[in-house]
Amino acid sequence: MNASSESLHAPADAAPRNAHSRGSRFGSWREHHGWSAASSLRRLASRPFGSLLTISVMGLALALPLAFYLLLGNVQKLGDALGRSQAISVFLQPGQAAPQAQLLATQLADRAELAAVVVKTPQQGMDELARMQGFSGALQTLDDNPLPYVLQLQPRAGASAQALEQLVADVRGMHGVDMVQDSGSWRKRLDALLGVGNRAALVLASLLALAALLVVGNTVRVDIASRSEEIGVLLLVGASGAFVRRPYLYAGIWYGLFSGILAALLAVLIEFALAAPVAQLSQAYDGKLQVGGLPLWLLLAVPLAAAALGWLGARLVSAWQLRKAA
Amino acid sequence: MIQFDQVSKRYEGGHEALSQLSFAVPTGEMAFVTGHSGAGKSTLLKLLGLIERPSHGTISVDGKNLAKIRHSGVPKWRRHIGMVFQDHRLLMDRSVFANVELPLAIGGIARAERARRVRAALEKVGLLAYERQLPATLSAGEQQRVGIARAIVARPGLLIADEPTGNLDPQLAVEIMGLFGEFQQVGTTVLIASHDLPLIKRMKKRVIVLDHGRLVADLAAQEVL
Repeated sequence: MNASSESLHAPADAAPRNAHSRGSRFGSWREHHGWSAASSLRRLASRPFGSLLTISVMGLALALPLAFYLLLGNVQKLGDALGRSQAISVFLQPGQAAPQAQLLATQLADRAELAAVVVKTPQQGMDELARMQGFSGALQTLDDNPLPYVLQLQPRAGASAQALEQLVADVRGMHGVDMVQDSGSWRKRLDALLGVGNRAALVLASLLALAALLVVGNTVRVDIASRSEEIGVLLLVGASGAFVRRPYLYAGIWYGLFSGILAALLAVLIEFALAAPVAQLSQAYDGKLQVGGLPLWLLLAVPLAAAALGWLGARLVSAWQLRKAA
Repeated sequence: MIQFDQVSKRYEGGHEALSQLSFAVPTGEMAFVTGHSGAGKSTLLKLLGLIERPSHGTISVDGKNLAKIRHSGVPKWRRHIGMVFQDHRLLMDRSVFANVELPLAIGGIARAERARRVRAALEKVGLLAYERQLPATLSAGEQQRVGIARAIVARPGLLIADEPTGNLDPQLAVEIMGLFGEFQQVGTTVLIASHDLPLIKRMKKRVIVLDHGRLVADLAAQEVL
Protein backbone atom coordinates (compact mmCIF):
# COMPACT_ATOMS: atom_id res chain seq x y z
CA MET A 1 0.00 0.00 0.00
CA ASN A 2 1.43 3.29 -1.03
CA ALA A 3 0.66 6.20 1.21
CA SER A 4 2.69 8.62 -0.91
CA SER A 5 0.64 8.12 -4.07
CA GLU A 6 -1.14 11.01 -5.80
CA SER A 7 -3.56 12.54 -3.37
CA LEU A 8 -7.05 11.14 -3.54
CA HIS A 9 -8.40 13.97 -1.55
CA ALA A 10 -9.10 17.51 -2.54
CA PRO A 11 -8.09 20.19 -0.05
CA ALA A 12 -10.88 21.61 2.06
CA ASP A 13 -11.11 24.80 -0.02
CA ALA A 14 -11.11 23.02 -3.35
CA ALA A 15 -14.10 22.72 -5.65
CA PRO A 16 -16.80 20.17 -4.70
CA ARG A 17 -15.46 16.67 -4.72
CA ASN A 18 -17.44 15.47 -7.68
CA ALA A 19 -17.48 18.74 -9.59
CA HIS A 20 -17.37 18.26 -13.34
CA SER A 21 -18.61 20.11 -16.38
CA ARG A 22 -21.95 19.60 -18.07
CA GLY A 23 -20.00 18.60 -21.17
CA SER A 24 -18.18 15.79 -19.39
CA ARG A 25 -21.46 14.64 -17.84
CA PHE A 26 -23.07 14.50 -21.30
CA GLY A 27 -20.04 12.71 -22.70
CA SER A 28 -20.19 10.20 -19.87
CA TRP A 29 -23.95 9.74 -20.38
CA ARG A 30 -23.38 9.11 -24.08
CA GLU A 31 -20.56 6.74 -23.26
CA HIS A 32 -22.79 4.79 -20.89
CA HIS A 33 -25.42 4.50 -23.63
CA GLY A 34 -22.77 3.06 -25.93
CA TRP A 35 -21.55 0.70 -23.22
CA SER A 36 -25.11 -0.39 -22.36
CA ALA A 37 -25.95 -1.05 -26.02
CA ALA A 38 -22.76 -3.05 -26.57
CA SER A 39 -22.87 -4.98 -23.29
CA SER A 40 -26.53 -5.93 -23.71
CA LEU A 41 -25.77 -7.15 -27.22
CA ARG A 42 -22.85 -9.19 -25.87
CA ARG A 43 -25.13 -10.72 -23.24
CA LEU A 44 -27.60 -11.71 -25.97
CA ALA A 45 -24.75 -13.27 -27.94
CA SER A 46 -23.43 -15.06 -24.86
CA ARG A 47 -26.71 -17.02 -24.62
CA PRO A 48 -27.34 -17.78 -28.29
CA PHE A 49 -29.94 -20.50 -27.75
CA GLY A 50 -32.09 -18.55 -25.31
CA SER A 51 -31.78 -15.34 -27.31
CA LEU A 52 -32.66 -17.08 -30.57
CA LEU A 53 -35.65 -18.72 -28.93
CA THR A 54 -36.96 -15.40 -27.63
CA ILE A 55 -36.34 -13.65 -30.95
CA SER A 56 -37.99 -16.50 -32.88
CA VAL A 57 -41.11 -16.49 -30.71
CA MET A 58 -41.41 -12.72 -31.03
CA GLY A 59 -40.59 -12.80 -34.75
CA LEU A 60 -43.30 -15.38 -35.44
CA ALA A 61 -45.79 -13.45 -33.33
CA LEU A 62 -45.08 -10.32 -35.38
CA ALA A 63 -44.99 -12.17 -38.73
CA LEU A 64 -48.52 -13.54 -38.32
CA PRO A 65 -50.33 -10.19 -38.54
CA LEU A 66 -48.04 -9.25 -41.43
CA ALA A 67 -49.06 -12.39 -43.30
CA PHE A 68 -52.69 -11.63 -42.54
CA TYR A 69 -52.22 -8.07 -43.77
CA LEU A 70 -50.61 -9.37 -46.95
CA LEU A 71 -53.49 -11.77 -47.52
CA LEU A 72 -56.17 -9.14 -46.90
CA GLY A 73 -54.43 -6.60 -49.11
CA ASN A 74 -54.36 -9.06 -51.95
CA VAL A 75 -57.96 -10.15 -51.48
CA GLN A 76 -58.86 -6.47 -51.65
CA LYS A 77 -56.89 -6.08 -54.88
CA LEU A 78 -58.49 -9.22 -56.24
CA GLY A 79 -61.89 -7.76 -55.43
CA ASP A 80 -60.94 -4.49 -57.13
CA ALA A 81 -59.74 -6.29 -60.23
CA LEU A 82 -62.82 -8.47 -60.44
CA GLY A 83 -65.06 -5.53 -59.72
CA ARG A 84 -63.53 -3.59 -62.57
CA SER A 85 -63.83 -6.43 -65.06
CA GLN A 86 -67.35 -7.52 -64.12
CA ALA A 87 -69.34 -4.37 -63.61
CA ILE A 88 -73.06 -5.08 -64.25
CA SER A 89 -73.71 -7.48 -67.09
CA VAL A 90 -77.15 -7.46 -68.71
CA PHE A 91 -77.82 -10.60 -70.77
CA LEU A 92 -80.53 -10.08 -73.35
CA GLN A 93 -82.95 -12.83 -74.24
CA PRO A 94 -81.73 -15.13 -77.03
CA GLY A 95 -82.98 -13.92 -80.33
CA GLN A 96 -82.82 -10.23 -79.48
CA ALA A 97 -81.16 -8.48 -82.38
CA ALA A 98 -78.69 -5.62 -82.58
CA PRO A 99 -81.32 -2.83 -82.89
CA GLN A 100 -83.05 -3.92 -79.65
CA ALA A 101 -79.70 -4.13 -77.89
CA GLN A 102 -78.77 -0.67 -79.15
CA LEU A 103 -82.16 0.72 -78.07
CA LEU A 104 -81.75 -0.63 -74.54
CA ALA A 105 -78.18 0.70 -74.40
CA THR A 106 -79.40 4.16 -75.41
CA GLN A 107 -82.10 4.09 -72.75
CA LEU A 108 -79.64 3.01 -70.06
CA ALA A 109 -76.93 5.49 -71.08
CA ASP A 110 -79.23 8.26 -69.86
CA ARG A 111 -79.19 6.89 -66.31
CA ALA A 112 -77.22 9.11 -63.95
CA GLU A 113 -75.77 6.11 -62.06
CA LEU A 114 -73.91 4.88 -65.13
CA ALA A 115 -70.65 6.08 -66.58
CA ALA A 116 -70.75 3.93 -69.70
CA VAL A 117 -72.80 1.29 -71.46
CA VAL A 118 -71.04 -1.06 -73.82
CA VAL A 119 -72.83 -3.42 -76.17
CA LYS A 120 -71.12 -6.75 -76.63
CA THR A 121 -72.21 -8.74 -79.63
CA PRO A 122 -72.53 -12.53 -79.52
CA GLN A 123 -69.48 -12.68 -81.80
CA GLN A 124 -67.41 -10.60 -79.38
CA GLY A 125 -68.49 -12.92 -76.61
CA MET A 126 -67.45 -15.90 -78.67
CA ASP A 127 -64.06 -14.32 -79.40
CA GLU A 128 -63.45 -13.73 -75.69
CA LEU A 129 -64.29 -17.32 -74.91
CA ALA A 130 -61.98 -18.49 -77.65
CA ARG A 131 -59.11 -16.57 -76.07
CA MET A 132 -59.60 -18.31 -72.72
CA GLN A 133 -57.58 -21.45 -72.20
CA GLY A 134 -59.31 -24.73 -72.90
CA PHE A 135 -62.35 -23.29 -74.63
CA SER A 136 -61.18 -22.93 -78.21
CA GLY A 137 -61.53 -26.65 -78.97
CA ALA A 138 -65.01 -26.86 -77.51
CA LEU A 139 -66.21 -23.78 -79.39
CA GLN A 140 -65.18 -25.28 -82.73
CA THR A 141 -67.76 -28.02 -82.24
CA LEU A 142 -70.66 -25.50 -82.11
CA ASP A 143 -72.76 -25.10 -85.26
CA ASP A 144 -73.92 -21.60 -84.44
CA ASN A 145 -73.30 -18.93 -81.82
CA PRO A 146 -75.59 -19.49 -78.81
CA LEU A 147 -74.47 -16.34 -76.97
CA PRO A 148 -76.88 -13.43 -76.51
CA TYR A 149 -76.19 -9.73 -76.76
CA VAL A 150 -74.76 -8.42 -73.51
CA LEU A 151 -74.83 -4.87 -72.22
CA GLN A 152 -71.99 -4.02 -69.89
CA LEU A 153 -72.96 -1.27 -67.51
CA GLN A 154 -70.09 0.58 -65.88
CA PRO A 155 -71.33 2.31 -62.70
CA ARG A 156 -70.31 5.92 -62.25
CA ALA A 157 -67.63 6.43 -59.58
CA GLY A 158 -69.33 7.35 -56.34
CA ALA A 159 -72.71 5.93 -57.32
CA SER A 160 -74.43 4.74 -54.16
CA ALA A 161 -75.04 1.06 -53.59
CA GLN A 162 -78.74 1.82 -53.13
CA ALA A 163 -78.99 3.60 -56.49
CA LEU A 164 -77.22 0.71 -58.19
CA GLU A 165 -79.53 -1.80 -56.55
CA GLN A 166 -82.50 0.19 -57.87
CA LEU A 167 -80.89 0.32 -61.33
CA VAL A 168 -80.44 -3.46 -61.32
CA ALA A 169 -84.09 -3.92 -60.29
CA ASP A 170 -85.21 -1.57 -63.06
CA VAL A 171 -83.10 -3.32 -65.69
CA ARG A 172 -84.43 -6.71 -64.65
CA GLY A 173 -87.94 -5.42 -65.43
CA MET A 174 -87.06 -4.13 -68.90
CA HIS A 175 -88.42 -5.82 -71.96
CA GLY A 176 -85.98 -8.23 -73.65
CA VAL A 177 -83.72 -8.66 -70.61
CA ASP A 178 -83.03 -12.27 -69.71
CA MET A 179 -80.65 -11.98 -66.77
CA VAL A 180 -78.68 -9.34 -64.84
CA GLN A 181 -75.40 -10.27 -63.25
CA ASP A 182 -74.60 -7.71 -60.59
CA SER A 183 -71.05 -7.72 -59.29
CA GLY A 184 -72.10 -5.04 -56.78
CA SER A 185 -73.86 -7.46 -54.46
CA TRP A 186 -70.95 -9.85 -54.16
CA ARG A 187 -68.62 -6.86 -53.96
CA LYS A 188 -70.65 -5.58 -51.03
CA ARG A 189 -70.37 -8.94 -49.35
CA LEU A 190 -66.66 -9.05 -50.08
CA ASP A 191 -66.21 -5.56 -48.65
CA ALA A 192 -68.08 -6.62 -45.52
CA LEU A 193 -65.89 -9.70 -45.25
CA LEU A 194 -62.79 -7.59 -45.76
CA GLY A 195 -64.03 -5.26 -43.03
CA VAL A 196 -64.33 -8.23 -40.67
CA GLY A 197 -60.91 -9.43 -41.80
CA ASN A 198 -59.34 -6.02 -41.25
CA ARG A 199 -60.79 -5.79 -37.78
CA ALA A 200 -59.69 -9.34 -37.03
CA ALA A 201 -56.20 -8.47 -38.29
CA LEU A 202 -56.12 -5.43 -36.03
CA VAL A 203 -57.23 -7.46 -33.01
CA LEU A 204 -54.77 -10.23 -33.88
CA ALA A 205 -51.95 -7.73 -34.35
CA SER A 206 -52.76 -6.09 -31.01
CA LEU A 207 -52.88 -9.42 -29.20
CA LEU A 208 -49.67 -10.66 -30.77
CA ALA A 209 -47.95 -7.33 -30.09
CA LEU A 210 -49.04 -7.75 -26.48
CA ALA A 211 -47.64 -11.28 -26.53
CA ALA A 212 -44.34 -9.94 -27.89
CA LEU A 213 -44.34 -7.30 -25.18
CA LEU A 214 -44.86 -9.97 -22.52
CA VAL A 215 -42.12 -12.16 -24.00
CA VAL A 216 -39.62 -9.30 -23.85
CA GLY A 217 -40.86 -8.32 -20.41
CA ASN A 218 -40.45 -11.83 -19.06
CA THR A 219 -37.00 -12.24 -20.62
CA VAL A 220 -35.85 -8.96 -19.10
CA ARG A 221 -37.44 -9.89 -15.77
CA VAL A 222 -35.46 -13.13 -15.67
CA ASP A 223 -32.33 -11.23 -16.67
CA ILE A 224 -32.83 -8.68 -13.91
CA ALA A 225 -33.55 -11.40 -11.35
CA SER A 226 -30.33 -13.19 -12.30
CA ARG A 227 -28.39 -9.97 -11.82
CA SER A 228 -30.04 -8.76 -8.64
CA GLU A 229 -26.73 -8.72 -6.75
CA GLU A 230 -25.13 -6.51 -9.37
CA ILE A 231 -28.13 -4.19 -9.31
CA GLY A 232 -27.90 -4.02 -5.53
CA VAL A 233 -24.25 -2.99 -5.76
CA LEU A 234 -25.00 -0.36 -8.40
CA LEU A 235 -27.75 1.13 -6.27
CA LEU A 236 -25.48 1.17 -3.21
CA VAL A 237 -22.77 3.12 -4.99
CA GLY A 238 -25.25 5.73 -6.13
CA ALA A 239 -26.54 4.58 -9.49
CA SER A 240 -29.85 6.12 -10.48
CA GLY A 241 -32.76 4.02 -11.73
CA ALA A 242 -32.09 5.23 -15.28
CA PHE A 243 -28.44 4.15 -15.08
CA VAL A 244 -29.31 0.68 -13.78
CA ARG A 245 -32.17 0.26 -16.27
CA ARG A 246 -30.26 1.31 -19.36
CA PRO A 247 -28.66 -2.05 -20.32
CA TYR A 248 -32.02 -3.80 -19.89
CA LEU A 249 -33.76 -1.25 -22.08
CA TYR A 250 -31.17 -1.83 -24.77
CA ALA A 251 -31.69 -5.59 -24.38
CA GLY A 252 -35.41 -4.99 -25.01
CA ILE A 253 -34.58 -2.88 -28.06
CA TRP A 254 -32.27 -5.59 -29.45
CA TYR A 255 -34.85 -8.33 -28.92
CA GLY A 256 -37.50 -6.19 -30.61
CA LEU A 257 -35.28 -5.10 -33.48
CA PHE A 258 -34.05 -8.60 -34.32
CA SER A 259 -37.51 -10.12 -34.03
CA GLY A 260 -38.87 -7.32 -36.24
CA ILE A 261 -36.21 -8.08 -38.86
CA LEU A 262 -37.10 -11.78 -38.60
CA ALA A 263 -40.81 -10.98 -39.00
CA ALA A 264 -40.10 -8.84 -42.08
CA LEU A 265 -37.95 -11.61 -43.56
CA LEU A 266 -40.68 -14.18 -42.90
CA ALA A 267 -43.21 -11.90 -44.58
CA VAL A 268 -40.95 -11.63 -47.64
CA LEU A 269 -40.58 -15.43 -47.64
CA ILE A 270 -44.36 -15.79 -47.55
CA GLU A 271 -44.55 -13.41 -50.52
CA PHE A 272 -42.04 -15.55 -52.40
CA ALA A 273 -43.92 -18.71 -51.51
CA LEU A 274 -47.15 -17.22 -52.88
CA ALA A 275 -45.54 -15.72 -55.97
CA ALA A 276 -46.01 -18.74 -58.29
CA PRO A 277 -49.70 -19.50 -57.54
CA VAL A 278 -50.50 -15.79 -57.62
CA ALA A 279 -48.85 -15.44 -61.02
CA GLN A 280 -51.05 -18.29 -62.27
CA LEU A 281 -54.12 -16.58 -60.88
CA SER A 282 -53.12 -13.33 -62.53
CA GLN A 283 -52.63 -15.11 -65.83
CA ALA A 284 -56.15 -16.52 -65.56
CA TYR A 285 -57.39 -12.92 -65.52
CA ASP A 286 -55.33 -11.94 -68.55
CA GLY A 287 -52.78 -10.25 -66.33
CA LYS A 288 -55.39 -7.75 -65.15
CA LEU A 289 -54.96 -8.91 -61.59
CA GLN A 290 -52.18 -6.90 -59.98
CA VAL A 291 -51.27 -8.80 -56.83
CA GLY A 292 -48.73 -7.04 -54.65
CA GLY A 293 -46.49 -7.69 -51.67
CA LEU A 294 -45.94 -5.69 -48.53
CA PRO A 295 -44.80 -2.13 -49.16
CA LEU A 296 -41.16 -1.34 -48.43
CA TRP A 297 -42.06 1.27 -45.84
CA LEU A 298 -43.94 -1.38 -43.86
CA LEU A 299 -41.04 -3.83 -44.04
CA LEU A 300 -38.76 -1.09 -42.70
CA ALA A 301 -41.26 0.10 -40.11
CA VAL A 302 -41.83 -3.36 -38.61
CA PRO A 303 -38.32 -3.71 -37.07
CA LEU A 304 -38.48 -0.15 -35.77
CA ALA A 305 -41.94 -0.64 -34.28
CA ALA A 306 -40.81 -3.97 -32.80
CA ALA A 307 -37.75 -2.27 -31.28
CA ALA A 308 -40.07 0.30 -29.69
CA LEU A 309 -42.25 -2.55 -28.44
CA GLY A 310 -39.17 -4.27 -26.95
CA TRP A 311 -38.12 -1.05 -25.28
CA LEU A 312 -41.60 -0.61 -23.82
CA GLY A 313 -41.71 -4.17 -22.45
CA ALA A 314 -38.27 -3.79 -20.89
CA ARG A 315 -39.14 -0.35 -19.53
CA LEU A 316 -42.31 -1.55 -17.80
CA VAL A 317 -40.72 -4.62 -16.27
CA SER A 318 -37.44 -2.97 -15.26
CA ALA A 319 -39.25 -0.08 -13.57
CA TRP A 320 -41.32 -2.56 -11.60
CA GLN A 321 -38.37 -4.82 -10.74
CA LEU A 322 -36.11 -1.95 -9.72
CA ARG A 323 -38.79 -0.47 -7.51
CA LYS A 324 -38.78 -3.79 -5.67
CA ALA A 325 -34.96 -3.85 -5.53
CA ALA A 326 -34.73 -0.28 -4.21
CA MET B 1 -20.56 16.61 11.27
CA ILE B 2 -22.78 13.58 11.67
CA GLN B 3 -25.58 14.23 14.13
CA PHE B 4 -27.96 11.56 15.45
CA ASP B 5 -30.77 13.07 17.52
CA GLN B 6 -33.10 10.70 19.38
CA VAL B 7 -33.00 8.26 16.49
CA SER B 8 -35.01 5.05 16.72
CA LYS B 9 -35.50 2.35 14.15
CA ARG B 10 -38.22 -0.24 14.45
CA TYR B 11 -38.46 -2.85 11.68
CA GLU B 12 -41.67 -4.34 10.42
CA GLY B 13 -42.55 -7.08 12.86
CA GLY B 14 -41.72 -4.90 15.83
CA HIS B 15 -38.00 -5.46 16.35
CA GLU B 16 -36.42 -2.24 17.59
CA ALA B 17 -32.88 -2.10 16.22
CA LEU B 18 -32.06 1.39 17.52
CA SER B 19 -33.63 3.22 20.40
CA GLN B 20 -33.40 6.97 21.00
CA LEU B 21 -29.82 7.16 19.85
CA SER B 22 -28.10 10.54 20.10
CA PHE B 23 -24.47 11.31 19.32
CA ALA B 24 -22.37 13.50 17.04
CA VAL B 25 -19.22 12.81 15.04
CA PRO B 26 -17.33 15.96 13.99
CA THR B 27 -16.14 16.32 10.40
CA GLY B 28 -12.82 14.61 9.84
CA GLU B 29 -13.10 12.32 12.84
CA MET B 30 -12.74 8.56 12.77
CA ALA B 31 -14.98 6.59 15.11
CA PHE B 32 -15.82 2.96 15.68
CA VAL B 33 -19.31 1.70 16.42
CA THR B 34 -19.16 -1.53 18.33
CA GLY B 35 -21.38 -3.89 20.25
CA HIS B 36 -22.47 -7.49 20.18
CA SER B 37 -24.28 -9.03 17.25
CA GLY B 38 -27.70 -7.40 16.89
CA ALA B 39 -26.68 -4.30 18.83
CA GLY B 40 -27.69 -2.07 15.93
CA LYS B 41 -24.29 -1.28 14.36
CA SER B 42 -25.27 -2.17 10.82
CA THR B 43 -28.66 -0.46 11.15
CA LEU B 44 -26.89 2.74 12.16
CA LEU B 45 -24.75 2.65 9.01
CA LYS B 46 -27.76 1.74 6.87
CA LEU B 47 -29.52 4.86 8.13
CA LEU B 48 -26.55 6.96 7.05
CA GLY B 49 -26.53 5.34 3.62
CA LEU B 50 -30.32 5.80 3.34
CA ILE B 51 -30.69 2.07 2.91
CA GLU B 52 -33.13 2.35 5.80
CA ARG B 53 -35.05 5.31 7.19
CA PRO B 54 -35.43 6.02 10.92
CA SER B 55 -38.78 5.45 12.60
CA HIS B 56 -38.22 8.44 14.85
CA GLY B 57 -35.63 11.15 15.36
CA THR B 58 -33.40 13.16 13.08
CA ILE B 59 -30.13 12.38 11.34
CA SER B 60 -28.17 15.20 9.78
CA VAL B 61 -24.86 15.24 7.99
CA ASP B 62 -23.07 18.58 7.59
CA GLY B 63 -26.35 20.27 8.48
CA LYS B 64 -28.37 18.34 5.89
CA ASN B 65 -31.40 16.58 7.36
CA LEU B 66 -31.43 13.14 5.73
CA ALA B 67 -35.21 12.85 6.23
CA LYS B 68 -35.61 15.61 3.65
CA ILE B 69 -33.86 13.59 0.97
CA ARG B 70 -36.60 12.07 -1.17
CA HIS B 71 -36.44 8.64 -2.74
CA SER B 72 -35.34 10.20 -6.04
CA GLY B 73 -32.49 11.99 -4.25
CA VAL B 74 -31.04 8.86 -2.65
CA PRO B 75 -28.64 7.98 -5.52
CA LYS B 76 -27.16 11.48 -5.42
CA TRP B 77 -26.72 11.24 -1.66
CA ARG B 78 -24.99 7.88 -1.96
CA ARG B 79 -22.55 9.38 -4.45
CA HIS B 80 -21.40 11.70 -1.69
CA ILE B 81 -20.54 8.93 0.73
CA GLY B 82 -18.29 5.92 0.44
CA MET B 83 -19.52 2.55 1.69
CA VAL B 84 -17.41 -0.52 2.46
CA PHE B 85 -19.02 -3.85 3.24
CA GLN B 86 -17.84 -7.01 4.97
CA ASP B 87 -18.67 -9.06 1.88
CA HIS B 88 -17.01 -6.49 -0.43
CA ARG B 89 -20.01 -6.33 -2.81
CA LEU B 90 -17.82 -6.39 -5.92
CA LEU B 91 -19.01 -7.16 -9.44
CA MET B 92 -17.26 -10.43 -10.11
CA ASP B 93 -17.61 -10.29 -13.89
CA ARG B 94 -15.86 -6.94 -14.14
CA SER B 95 -12.19 -6.14 -13.71
CA VAL B 96 -10.75 -4.53 -10.61
CA PHE B 97 -10.43 -1.31 -12.61
CA ALA B 98 -14.08 -1.42 -13.72
CA ASN B 99 -15.23 -2.05 -10.15
CA VAL B 100 -13.35 0.91 -8.78
CA GLU B 101 -14.43 3.06 -11.73
CA LEU B 102 -18.12 2.44 -11.05
CA PRO B 103 -18.91 5.43 -8.77
CA LEU B 104 -17.12 7.76 -11.20
CA ALA B 105 -18.96 6.38 -14.23
CA ILE B 106 -22.23 6.76 -12.35
CA GLY B 107 -21.25 10.28 -11.36
CA GLY B 108 -20.63 11.27 -14.98
CA ILE B 109 -16.87 11.84 -14.69
CA ALA B 110 -15.03 12.01 -18.02
CA ARG B 111 -13.13 8.90 -19.07
CA ALA B 112 -9.61 10.35 -18.78
CA GLU B 113 -10.30 11.76 -15.34
CA ARG B 114 -11.83 8.45 -14.29
CA ALA B 115 -8.75 6.55 -15.33
CA ARG B 116 -6.51 8.94 -13.43
CA ARG B 117 -8.56 8.72 -10.26
CA VAL B 118 -9.04 4.95 -10.41
CA ARG B 119 -5.29 4.40 -10.75
CA ALA B 120 -4.63 6.79 -7.88
CA ALA B 121 -7.13 4.88 -5.70
CA LEU B 122 -5.68 1.51 -6.67
CA GLU B 123 -2.18 2.74 -5.98
CA LYS B 124 -3.34 3.97 -2.60
CA VAL B 125 -4.58 0.50 -1.63
CA GLY B 126 -1.58 -1.21 -3.25
CA LEU B 127 -3.45 -2.92 -6.09
CA LEU B 128 -2.41 -0.95 -9.15
CA ALA B 129 -0.77 -4.04 -10.65
CA TYR B 130 -4.05 -5.94 -10.40
CA GLU B 131 -6.27 -3.49 -12.28
CA ARG B 132 -7.01 -5.84 -15.16
CA GLN B 133 -7.72 -8.89 -13.02
CA LEU B 134 -11.13 -10.13 -12.02
CA PRO B 135 -11.92 -9.86 -8.30
CA ALA B 136 -12.31 -13.65 -8.03
CA THR B 137 -8.59 -14.06 -8.68
CA LEU B 138 -7.72 -11.93 -5.62
CA SER B 139 -7.51 -12.90 -1.95
CA ALA B 140 -10.18 -11.79 0.53
CA GLY B 141 -7.93 -9.00 1.80
CA GLU B 142 -7.22 -7.80 -1.72
CA GLN B 143 -10.91 -7.88 -2.55
CA GLN B 144 -11.62 -5.77 0.50
CA ARG B 145 -8.99 -3.29 -0.63
CA VAL B 146 -10.73 -3.11 -4.01
CA GLY B 147 -13.94 -2.34 -2.10
CA ILE B 148 -12.14 0.42 -0.21
CA ALA B 149 -10.67 1.85 -3.42
CA ARG B 150 -14.18 1.95 -4.87
CA ALA B 151 -15.46 3.70 -1.75
CA ILE B 152 -12.81 6.43 -1.78
CA VAL B 153 -12.37 6.97 -5.52
CA ALA B 154 -15.10 9.62 -5.71
CA ARG B 155 -13.44 11.48 -2.82
CA PRO B 156 -16.38 11.20 -0.42
CA GLY B 157 -16.62 13.41 2.62
CA LEU B 158 -17.96 10.51 4.64
CA LEU B 159 -16.70 6.94 4.59
CA ILE B 160 -18.76 4.26 6.34
CA ALA B 161 -17.66 0.66 6.69
CA ASP B 162 -19.63 -2.29 8.00
CA GLU B 163 -17.33 -4.93 9.50
CA PRO B 164 -14.66 -4.26 6.89
CA THR B 165 -12.21 -6.68 8.48
CA GLY B 166 -14.71 -9.36 9.41
CA ASN B 167 -13.29 -11.99 7.06
CA LEU B 168 -9.62 -11.02 7.26
CA ASP B 169 -6.73 -12.36 9.29
CA PRO B 170 -5.44 -10.03 12.06
CA GLN B 171 -2.42 -8.76 10.11
CA LEU B 172 -4.55 -7.83 7.09
CA ALA B 173 -7.19 -6.30 9.36
CA VAL B 174 -4.57 -3.97 10.84
CA GLU B 175 -3.46 -2.95 7.34
CA ILE B 176 -7.03 -2.21 6.27
CA MET B 177 -7.70 -0.17 9.41
CA GLY B 178 -4.47 1.71 8.75
CA LEU B 179 -5.86 2.67 5.36
CA PHE B 180 -9.01 4.07 6.95
CA GLY B 181 -6.78 6.02 9.34
CA GLU B 182 -4.99 7.56 6.37
CA PHE B 183 -8.25 8.72 4.84
CA GLN B 184 -9.27 10.32 8.14
CA GLN B 185 -5.97 12.18 8.24
CA VAL B 186 -6.81 13.95 4.98
CA GLY B 187 -10.17 15.17 6.26
CA THR B 188 -12.60 12.34 5.54
CA THR B 189 -15.06 11.48 8.30
CA VAL B 190 -14.82 7.74 8.89
CA LEU B 191 -17.38 5.63 10.74
CA ILE B 192 -16.65 1.92 11.09
CA ALA B 193 -18.91 -0.75 12.55
CA SER B 194 -16.85 -3.56 14.04
CA HIS B 195 -17.04 -6.10 16.83
CA ASP B 196 -13.28 -6.74 16.78
CA LEU B 197 -12.41 -5.20 20.16
CA PRO B 198 -8.67 -5.95 20.10
CA LEU B 199 -8.38 -4.23 16.75
CA ILE B 200 -10.48 -1.26 17.91
CA LYS B 201 -8.28 -0.85 20.98
CA ARG B 202 -5.20 -0.97 18.82
CA MET B 203 -6.47 1.85 16.58
CA LYS B 204 -6.97 4.24 19.51
CA LYS B 205 -9.94 6.11 18.03
CA ARG B 206 -13.28 7.16 19.44
CA VAL B 207 -15.59 4.22 20.19
CA ILE B 208 -19.39 4.31 20.34
CA VAL B 209 -20.75 1.25 22.09
CA LEU B 210 -24.26 0.01 21.41
CA ASP B 211 -26.28 -2.61 23.25
CA HIS B 212 -29.72 -3.66 22.06
CA GLY B 213 -29.94 -0.48 20.01
CA ARG B 214 -29.07 1.86 22.86
CA LEU B 215 -25.94 3.92 23.32
CA VAL B 216 -24.22 2.51 26.41
CA ALA B 217 -20.80 4.16 26.10
CA ASP B 218 -19.12 6.85 24.03
CA LEU B 219 -15.39 6.70 24.62
CA ALA B 220 -12.94 9.31 23.38
CA ALA B 221 -9.72 8.05 21.79
CA GLN B 222 -7.69 8.62 24.95
CA GLU B 223 -10.22 6.64 26.98
CA VAL B 224 -9.76 3.51 24.89
CA LEU B 225 -7.51 1.11 26.74
